[in-house]
Amino acid sequence: MWLAVVAAAVHAQEGRATDFITTEYYEAPHQQQIKSILSGAEAVRKPGRPIVIKQFKLQTYDLDGKTNLVVAGPECFYDEKAGTANSAGPLQVQNGDGSFRVTGEGFLWRQTNFSLTISNQVRTVAENGAKIDLKP
Amino acid sequence: MKRFCLILIAALGGWSVPAQTNVTDALPAPRGPKLITSDSADFDLGRHQATYRGRVHVSDPQMNLTCERLVADVPQAGGHVNHIVAQTNVMIDFLDDKGHTNHATGDMAVYTYSEQGGTTNETVTLTGGAKVENEQGWLTGEPIVWDRQNNHLSALNQRMIYRQNFGGPAADTNPAAAGTNPPVRHPTNSPPATVENTDTPPR
Repeated sequence: MWLAVVAAAVHAQEGRATDFITTEYYEAPHQQQIKSILSGAEAVRKPGRPIVIKQFKLQTYDLDGKTNLVVAGPECFYDEKAGTANSAGPLQVQNGDGSFRVTGEGFLWRQTNFSLTISNQVRTVAENGAKIDLKP
Repeated sequence: MKRFCLILIAALGGWSVPAQTNVTDALPAPRGPKLITSDSADFDLGRHQATYRGRVHVSDPQMNLTCERLVADVPQAGGHVNHIVAQTNVMIDFLDDKGHTNHATGDMAVYTYSEQGGTTNETVTLTGGAKVENEQGWLTGEPIVWDRQNNHLSALNQRMIYRQNFGGPAADTNPAAAGTNPPVRHPTNSPPATVENTDTPPR
């Protein structure tokens, strides 16, 4: 369930807003815990169409509050009713400390499944921590 | 001699890939980042899992892997990719301590990484028609386990073909160019051919 904290102009049937942000919480009994935050530098809403979000950033969180993944890109289309966001453009993904970084082209974020699909040209860099490859 | 060689190889874990001297004392080279490329990928955020599909390629400074489908854990901050499953047409090329290239194939490869009590375990387990080949010969087994920390191969149900003329010209190939030193051969009582170990335990 999306509990949106959206800029006032975007609540209107049609409009443009800056500093868009919408927050999703876990279901009960963890309803106080943030599950994801979708934000953007600008959002444009037109009737019957997904919200166009420029310079979007999707931050997801585990139940313990730790950052799960951060997804960012120049533009995405956010469908409030379907609970999805998608784009044919480029995106960057990384885990909490940036040691696992992904780039690709085209994506679909499914809020209900808590899943992200990257459609093309997926490239992942997984850094090893400084301690892990050294024997004691 | 032939029997001795085979027993020795079997006792060492089935394959003479690594430098067998003091491997436990050697510090492995720091591992570089892993690069994974694929056509597409699905991330299950609840399970912290990424599934890569289509022309999957994994590389790090020590190895290259290709397959059709690969499932990897997505580490949390400060963590490590500790479990990877590669499936379908798995091929791995890796260098041993002596710089020899090894080519491994199988239906599935499972990479695991763990740290317990100050000890790091890092293995790749090949199953499903698992085979490793290098210039010394080739090894099949079910499974074949590559210990990456010690750069050592071992296998169960192993079958091994050992090229005893290792270092010499292979049959049906052009002779070495004139004016070059011949390759060094170690004397052996065995013919310059291959030996097959059918996994019969020594008596």
